[in-house]
Amino acid sequence: MPRFNFWTVVMILTWVLLFVLLFIPVGSVLVSSFYDQSGNLTFGNYLKFLSEPRFHQAFVNTLVVGFGGLAGALLLGSIMAFCVSRFVIRGGKFVSLLAILALVSPPFIGAYSWIVLFGAGGVVRGFLRDLGISMPPIYGVGGILIVFSLKFYPYVYLMVSGALSNVNRSLEEAAEGLGLTPWQRTFKISFPMVFPALTAGGLLALIHAIADFGTPRLLGRGYNVLATEAFTLYSAEIGSNLSMATTISVVLILVSMVFVLLQRYMSRRNVYHGNMINKPVRMQLSGWRNVLAHVAVYFIGLCGAMPVIISVIYSFRKTSGPVFQDGFALQSYERILFNLGDVVRNSLTFSVAAVVLIVMVGTVVGVLVARRTNFNTALLDGAFMVPYVMPGIVIGIAFIAAFNTGPIVLTGTALIIILSIFIRRLPYTVRTTASSLRQISPSMEEAAVSLGYSPFQAFLRITVPLIVPGIIAGGMLSFVTAINELSSSLVLYVGSTMTMPVRIYLLILDGDFGTAAALSTILLLISGCAVYIAFRFMGRNEQALL
Amino acid sequence: MSYLTVNNATKQFGESFMALNGVSIAVERGEFFTLLGPSGCGKTTLLRAIAGFNDLTSGEITLAGSNLRAVPPHQRDIGMVFQDYAVFPHLSVFDNVAFGLKPRKVSAADIKARVIPALDSVRLGDMAQRLPAAMSGGQQQRIGLARAMVINPRLLLMDEPLSNLDAKLRIELREEIRDMQQQIDIATIYVTHDQEEALAISDRICVMNSGRIEQVGTPQQIYGDPQTRFVAEFVGTLNTFQPGPALDALLGQLGLSAPPDASWAVRPERLVLAAAGSPNEGAAALNGTVTKYTYLGREAHVQVETPVGSLVVQVANPGMAATRQAGEAVSVLVPRDAPMAFGADGARIGG
Repeated sequence: MPRFNFWTVVMILTWVLLFVLLFIPVGSVLVSSFYDQSGNLTFGNYLKFLSEPRFHQAFVNTLVVGFGGLAGALLLGSIMAFCVSRFVIRGGKFVSLLAILALVSPPFIGAYSWIVLFGAGGVVRGFLRDLGISMPPIYGVGGILIVFSLKFYPYVYLMVSGALSNVNRSLEEAAEGLGLTPWQRTFKISFPMVFPALTAGGLLALIHAIADFGTPRLLGRGYNVLATEAFTLYSAEIGSNLSMATTISVVLILVSMVFVLLQRYMSRRNVYHGNMINKPVRMQLSGWRNVLAHVAVYFIGLCGAMPVIISVIYSFRKTSGPVFQDGFALQSYERILFNLGDVVRNSLTFSVAAVVLIVMVGTVVGVLVARRTNFNTALLDGAFMVPYVMPGIVIGIAFIAAFNTGPIVLTGTALIIILSIFIRRLPYTVRTTASSLRQISPSMEEAAVSLGYSPFQAFLRITVPLIVPGIIAGGMLSFVTAINELSSSLVLYVGSTMTMPVRIYLLILDGDFGTAAALSTILLLISGCAVYIAFRFMGRNEQALL
Repeated sequence: MSYLTVNNATKQFGESFMALNGVSIAVERGEFFTLLGPSGCGKTTLLRAIAGFNDLTSGEITLAGSNLRAVPPHQRDIGMVFQDYAVFPHLSVFDNVAFGLKPRKVSAADIKARVIPALDSVRLGDMAQRLPAAMSGGQQQRIGLARAMVINPRLLLMDEPLSNLDAKLRIELREEIRDMQQQIDIATIYVTHDQEEALAISDRICVMNSGRIEQVGTPQQIYGDPQTRFVAEFVGTLNTFQPGPALDALLGQLGLSAPPDASWAVRPERLVLAAAGSPNEGAAALNGTVTKYTYLGREAHVQVETPVGSLVVQVANPGMAATRQAGEAVSVLVPRDAPMAFGADGARIGG
């Protein structure tokens, strides 16, 4: 039967793909971590990791910024979610938009914008100094935590606000009828209902905080985390130590995996499915409570979107070389037009290529996972979790470890960047395709078959049109992730394959913030268009951005 | 040979579960044939095997004399109506109904000439250009019906088509289905777990239980002359007599007999409620006390404690005067032809 053959081929190709792009790189990282620089099998790297204070410190720092970022994101995200979903907030849509802006803003432009405001020569700090108020610059762990909280709160906000508006109001009314105070009601009824969403959002914040490379790099000033240590070890021009970098990568993967498993364990029994007959309504606050709720929501939203606002403003400022002058001009954009066209082109080409691959392969594999469930596909589903927990910097190092020598040499090519984006984002598309397929009743295709269409035609004429809008939307969101990807590209790029985020990073290191801001604004504009198209196709669904 | 035959069909799921365990049926041209049973009895499995969505583990299916199992499902030319309607949400009502005509190479003009009357027959003529998403369940199922019938299939299958609709619409639509089926004279297999629906709509009913057939017969035979205890209990309601000297005396009075391990039962509407001690002819009287009176509008159920156990008596058209109070002494009359006897294996052995 041809159908059987087709799916068998897909299954085999998927495994080959996973083997080449996932198991070989991860395996190479693992193998490389057990060899020293001269190629001897050893536990030396791990012993070194355990014995050297530098690595201890980085490990502890990683946990500090991870949990600190988590705590901050939980706090800000929960406050905002609670206010927006339970109270009437003027311009609630605008607040959500601010959260989306924070979410899709180019990586670590945030960190730099905060330096512009609160750094050593920061604008706000200087202004306050003129007023006689002196405050410490934002560098160090405090700054990292502030930036992480503001950068990752949208994960918690979007997850929890979704969950909060899905708590059947009858439950709270029933609790009220049983004599619980509003406070008890919140903690005994609403909190357990949103707990899974809270942990899921928190996990995303935690994983991203651990994996984040740019923020500690720019703001840390000696406060090193595992991601920056791995990159330093890998990229040092003298004494580059790939095997030690891979050891740190292994540690990073393990840490991420522990947290993913922990979150799954914590929310394993806590998924509630209720009817939605009695939808929650927003309460109109009055007096100081109303003011407080608005101030809280807008303060969080505007602070989160501050980097974007700053970079848009600074992109139009007049510059002389890297130095800002008074007044506004389009110089920064001119520089991009004349000097950095190839970077923009690279970013667009790589992202489009990666997304086309992701959509094609992800859809076919998603169909495989959803429709041909057996032991193999369950395993496949599990294998696709792996890149989910791999920080970008680790993917980059893993690809270098795997494809620098040996049968497949890809280093320095555009392909390696495309593939690194592809493998990281593929699981998302597979999952969304599989879940949207599972939502389509099988009787739909059976109806088409009973009307005289072959199973393949039925799939093509009924199922495909139903899932295509979701696939396009998913592709657009993958595009946003792809074009903003920094940390893996930073490891994998060479001069000719430089992308926009990499260039922004280098511009900031060079102190040319005007051009960096302009490039960020362009990046933001492209991302915004993609998000807009995605929302057009699937309706405004902020949670899909997660 | 019958139009559709299923011969000794078995379907095994997993190691040990037999969804179908040696099922044989024969359906004639133009017949409305219903598979009735509780969920998990195998009725849907059998229907899906005929449609071709699940193949049998063993057995034969023939349609008009030719082996159906050899034909892939999309070439079987069998219309199907689904429980969840399976209306294509991205196609207009017209395109939904026209969908099955396209692979049959019907010209555009002919499609129009066939779809429009089909839509009129399900009273959706003026909704042809609408998308089905916002339509009610009843309207969506009408699309499903028109879509299945417009291709003039050799056989029509319906898998609990009314079970997602509310009670009133269910009755309305089942009348329409029956009328339409008789109009176009098509052999139809209808799956339901609703006994009243099965009785109302069918030419013949096949009652299934645990992958086996309990009884095949007309609605009158199934209800009035159930061949197994399962059929008697599943279709309608049943009072079971408690065994003991009182039952033996009752049977003796009526001149009925059965092996000692048989159990006796009677339908509530076959019993008659009379004033205590009133004379009776051709029936045995049981003295009892009313324990509960349930008024249901067109009928009432009176629960009476008697020497042969607690019996429910159905009273038709209960007026104000029919109301009984708990504790009232009454007499329950058991006509001679009312009790049914079932053997230890559940098979009907007398009465």
